[in-house]
Amino acid sequence: MSNNIYLPHIAVIKDIKEETGDIKTFTLAFKDREWKRSFSFRPGQFMMVSVFQAGEVPISISSSPTQPGNLQLSIKKAGSLTGKIHEHKVGDEIGLRGPYGRSFPVERLIGKNLLFVAGGIGLAPLRSLINYALDKRTEFGRVTILHGARTPSDIPFRHELSLWPKERDVKVLVTVDRPDSKWRGSVGPVTTLWNKADLSGQDTLAIICGPPVMISFVVMDLLKMGFSEDDIISTLERHMKCGVGKCGHCSIGHQLTCVDGPVFTYREMKELPTDL
Amino acid sequence: MRSSSGKGDLMADKLILYKEHLNSFLRKITKGFELIAPVRNTYGDTLFEVISSVDDAHIDLTDRPILSPKRFFMPQVETLFAYRCDKSGYTFKDASDSTPRVIFGLRSCDTRGILFYDLIFQEGLKDKYYLDRRKNTILINLGCNQPGENCFCKSAQSGPFLTYGYDIQLTDLGDRFFVETGRPRGRELLAGWSYFFRPATQTDIDAQYEVVLESESKFRHRLDFDAAIEKLINQEVDPAVWEEMGNRCQNCGGCAYVCPTCYCFNIFDSPCSEKEGERVRTWDACTFAGFSRLAGGYNPRQDKAQRIKRRFYHKLFYDKQKYSIPSCVGCGRCADICFGRIDMLSFIRLICEQKERALAPAHRRLGELLLEAGIISRKDLDLAIEKQAATGKPLGTQLVEMGMVDKEAIARALGYQLKIPDTAKNIED
Repeated sequence: MSNNIYLPHIAVIKDIKEETGDIKTFTLAFKDREWKRSFSFRPGQFMMVSVFQAGEVPISISSSPTQPGNLQLSIKKAGSLTGKIHEHKVGDEIGLRGPYGRSFPVERLIGKNLLFVAGGIGLAPLRSLINYALDKRTEFGRVTILHGARTPSDIPFRHELSLWPKERDVKVLVTVDRPDSKWRGSVGPVTTLWNKADLSGQDTLAIICGPPVMISFVVMDLLKMGFSEDDIISTLERHMKCGVGKCGHCSIGHQLTCVDGPVFTYREMKELPTDL
Repeated sequence: MRSSSGKGDLMADKLILYKEHLNSFLRKITKGFELIAPVRNTYGDTLFEVISSVDDAHIDLTDRPILSPKRFFMPQVETLFAYRCDKSGYTFKDASDSTPRVIFGLRSCDTRGILFYDLIFQEGLKDKYYLDRRKNTILINLGCNQPGENCFCKSAQSGPFLTYGYDIQLTDLGDRFFVETGRPRGRELLAGWSYFFRPATQTDIDAQYEVVLESESKFRHRLDFDAAIEKLINQEVDPAVWEEMGNRCQNCGGCAYVCPTCYCFNIFDSPCSEKEGERVRTWDACTFAGFSRLAGGYNPRQDKAQRIKRRFYHKLFYDKQKYSIPSCVGCGRCADICFGRIDMLSFIRLICEQKERALAPAHRRLGELLLEAGIISRKDLDLAIEKQAATGKPLGTQLVEMGMVDKEAIARALGYQLKIPDTAKNIED
């Protein structure tokens, strides 16, 4: 493979897990052994996924780098390209470019308590960081995971959501907008979980991912709770074409989501005019 | 053949090429390079074209080509690679283009446009398609002795002559060209055919200097980029202005098409058969509705007004923030082409010279209005414009001072232009 930033590496789909009706987790392995061996990434980075004949789409890596050889992308069917990815079977090949983007500031999180707040598929990029922190458990403080989904059948990573609380000092709370008859958990937006979560703004960093509206409300509440603007971290989503800072599509203000983001602190997000 | 002025090898060579030798020199270039030069077509438009025969081509060095030469660095449609799926999986065939080229007769605005492209495609991760073309293309800049009607490169610090960035720069001195080499490969190109050139004398150097000064004085438009950027930073532009501009935008993408520094592109797959296809990139425009639309429908720049606003913030403020100079090179092509008169020239003039006034339906220049009304002759208007370029006074004041028109006529014409009732009483002396 030449040093051509637009040329993908080929990966084979090793496993497909149906998380919900429209979210699947694909486990991938690069075909080229050299590339497979040297590939590394940080939590929060994304890959440009190629479906040849259809195009490319940016997808956050949902697995942790502490589990190499187990590269996973959790993909929600949202448009025609992700629809085509969902039609793939184990053994099929796709193209991958990356890893791209500014990752979560892992070094800043060491020794701190971590509050993860996710909405819907937003849990996917956070899962990378959650598993990273849990695989290096002693390096981090208390871990609290709050997740909001539309309905119980829209909750991804159910298996892990039940395993995570079994780790030391990990709390998981899940809420849904619309319960079904079997649901015994919380109902309402993820902001209704604050009371149950036993939080303080001390020594805690918040990492948020979800729809833009959810992020605004969660940030408002966190600021009221005493979190500083540097200690609120999010990952933003924009339409991308090249993923390498050239094509201009993912621009927010003077920044490019694929190069200066997708991870931003709230202080940085405040400076960005999201509509310009 | 070196004509160093004694400050060492780093000083540019200064040479003379007599015009009668130009075609011979160009013919020599075609032996080793693909030659691109401005050519006038049968419609009277001048465009950069590949020259197959120097003698048969209508090379035009008078008018600024109507399109920038960016397609020779990033083609409008470019295959990145071909892919093919067979039993053993996917294989790729990289595209590349390392044809040696010379672009002759670039204007300073276009050379600066290429320098801006360098910042985009050579910084960070390197775009090899651009790099292959760029490193194999020699740039021969031709400074402008006569700025065009909509040109404002001087205000944009991109001309009419450059002091850096070119491989070779020519100045038209009438019967001969003053030739300066800028970068080593410019020097190498000339060294191969040194018999076409003689060293420049002090007379030539003085003549070149005169031409530059004269050209700088002939601009119709002087824009204060810094003032415009200040207004954007401080958000002092009335939202009504953005709304009106959004309304006027025809979504044609023309501005991005002609602009030397617009570089946004789309990437998509183009199937050739069931198992084969090409990944292609094409020029794109941020003014198009779908530019930032995500799958699922959310679009952070849903309104046309938002997209137009962003275009100006990008070119003026963000690029200045990132690269310490705004990316508009003042070529005036958007002013030539925009149907809605929301080009860079109109925009900066609007926000700097006028206060909170709505754009008139037909934003015509004062001079044209007076001409049409028969109040002033073409000859008088030209004289006034020439004088105005030197004094920097508004045209109306200049005309009144030269006795060509009285204040009342100016006020009525301005009032018509700005949809304001009789302003004769308000006009300043």
